[in-house]
Amino acid sequence: MQRKVEFGSTMKKIVVTWIFPLAALVIFYDSLSDWEPREHWGVLFAYTLLTIFSTFAPIRTLNTILTLNNAVIFSGILLFGAWVGVWSAVVETLILAFLIRSNPVKAMANIGQLVLTIWFVGLFKNSIDHVPASTMLMDLLLAVSYWFINIVLCGLGISYFFKTNCFTTVQKMAKGTTLTYLLLMVMAGIGSRLFETYGLYTLVPMMAAFITMSFVFHQYYDSMNKLQQKVEEVKTFNHKFLTAMAASIDARDRYTSGHSQRVAHWGREIAKDIGLSATKVEEIYVGGLLHDIGKIGIEDEILNKKGKLTPEEYDKIKQHTVIGYEIILQAGMFNELLPAIRSHHERIDGRGYPDGLAGDEIPLMARILAISDAFDAMVADRPYRKGLPVEEALQEIKRGSGTQFDPILAEHFIRIVHRLPCEELQSIIGIESIPQKQLQEAIR
Amino acid sequence: MLLDVIGLSFVVALLRGGRIKEFPKFHKLSLLFISIALQAFSALYPPAGGIFVSISYAFILAFLMFNRQFEDMRIFMMGWFLNALAIWTNNGRMPIDLEQAKKLPYDLTPVINGTNFKHSVLTESTNLPFLTDVIYMPSIIPRVISIGDIFIMLGAFLLVQRLMNKPISLLQLREGKNYATKS
Repeated sequence: MQRKVEFGSTMKKIVVTWIFPLAALVIFYDSLSDWEPREHWGVLFAYTLLTIFSTFAPIRTLNTILTLNNAVIFSGILLFGAWVGVWSAVVETLILAFLIRSNPVKAMANIGQLVLTIWFVGLFKNSIDHVPASTMLMDLLLAVSYWFINIVLCGLGISYFFKTNCFTTVQKMAKGTTLTYLLLMVMAGIGSRLFETYGLYTLVPMMAAFITMSFVFHQYYDSMNKLQQKVEEVKTFNHKFLTAMAASIDARDRYTSGHSQRVAHWGREIAKDIGLSATKVEEIYVGGLLHDIGKIGIEDEILNKKGKLTPEEYDKIKQHTVIGYEIILQAGMFNELLPAIRSHHERIDGRGYPDGLAGDEIPLMARILAISDAFDAMVADRPYRKGLPVEEALQEIKRGSGTQFDPILAEHFIRIVHRLPCEELQSIIGIESIPQKQLQEAIR
Repeated sequence: MLLDVIGLSFVVALLRGGRIKEFPKFHKLSLLFISIALQAFSALYPPAGGIFVSISYAFILAFLMFNRQFEDMRIFMMGWFLNALAIWTNNGRMPIDLEQAKKLPYDLTPVINGTNFKHSVLTESTNLPFLTDVIYMPSIIPRVISIGDIFIMLGAFLLVQRLMNKPISLLQLREGKNYATKS
């Protein structure tokens, strides 16, 4: 399997960094002879103007910018042949090379994939020239094949440069905004045929159609963008609110300043380490922030008592899990966090509280937060005692592995802490109230 | 040269509400003067004209390179580069298509005789003919232009807009933003 993956990436490297540029050079050289005849100069001139126009008249979509260049190139292939497409591609590349300082390897790969697409489509067009079918249908077929070849070659390049899976990249591109440019290609095909019959005046309705479309897209994507911004704002507000809430929970208990934040932090690290999805990781973070919310219902005298707690007082403290559960249940929000709040003091051996759950009966989120909670409780400084050294706390967790803590999660946690550089570890342990960095992380 | 394009650009800039504020500062202006001097030499001493013109194009490109922080200079550079390719591959002179040039109200005998220091006649043996002066441009001043000239005209237009304190950024246009630059 490993070898197969390595072989795949070597192949990608060869294709993207060698075959693409080489193909570009060969196809460029091959096209030179087609550019030389006198009767072709006018076409090249017209396509230079079209290319300049299309390079700087983009259609903005949600997160990408589509230019008309591919449509222009496609019309050139249909009306005159691949050499016009190659010309347009070369002119566009030159403009961008002069205007933008870009990575030469990427630029070469990009022009390579583009002219290869043009060349393939030109070849395909020649091979279906004799098929007795309507030109319009053939044009549609060519538009789709141009689009398809282009996203495959482009996807190959992207998957090499961004180290992603080739197939899924192409799949994503096919489903994403590239569909808009398939639409532009189909329009270019129709426009080209109209041009053949009606001449230059075709450009007028084509331009009108393009400008209208660009305007409609603009409106559509603008409102989408605004909506997305609103969602982000709500999310940010939510996070700020939750962080403030966590801080107020901690503020009630003067021994545990910043505790909820640190528990949330460690919970998130464990969740990431065991490979949970981004949404689950986020849930666990919020669960960590709110896990002690029930402490709101515990009297100050007990929470802040300096000496040892009596058994009755200890029973009351234990109630915070159930109180928190009730609060969140009644709020009707964050229902996914209920298990984290109720069960974060359960033990794997079933001797925890409030329900005495054992093993896998304890929800995963609660098992994760139990470790984070215990670790922070051990290492954090309290007014009446200094926190345990990290190594000792980890020893405690190892000792509790299988009885108090989930052994697999405990192992992950110990590895996470050992991986961290000493200073970073100390800065996390030392977090008081709501430092800026943490807040920013939460907002993100 | 390009007077009509520059004049038109000024009109557009005025209509856009532009006013000359200050003349932009160019770096290494000496390169530009050397290039002009070289062109003058080539006119004075035609036998070596090709070499002088070729070198003068290299100096212009270098001048533009030093001033490339402005977009108009980069567009100029592209145009000059394309023209330079045509000149460098054709013995230091820009071939011109006589079929188109006949439409111009100028005397073409120096070009045909080979005594014009800048132009030569386009023939079958001309290299990269599609980059030479082959497109007849009827207005405002009739002339025969090359594909590189399109970019030089575009660059001139952008430079004038910048001179008149109303710069247009092609890059921002491409990004789908407002065309005007911030500065």
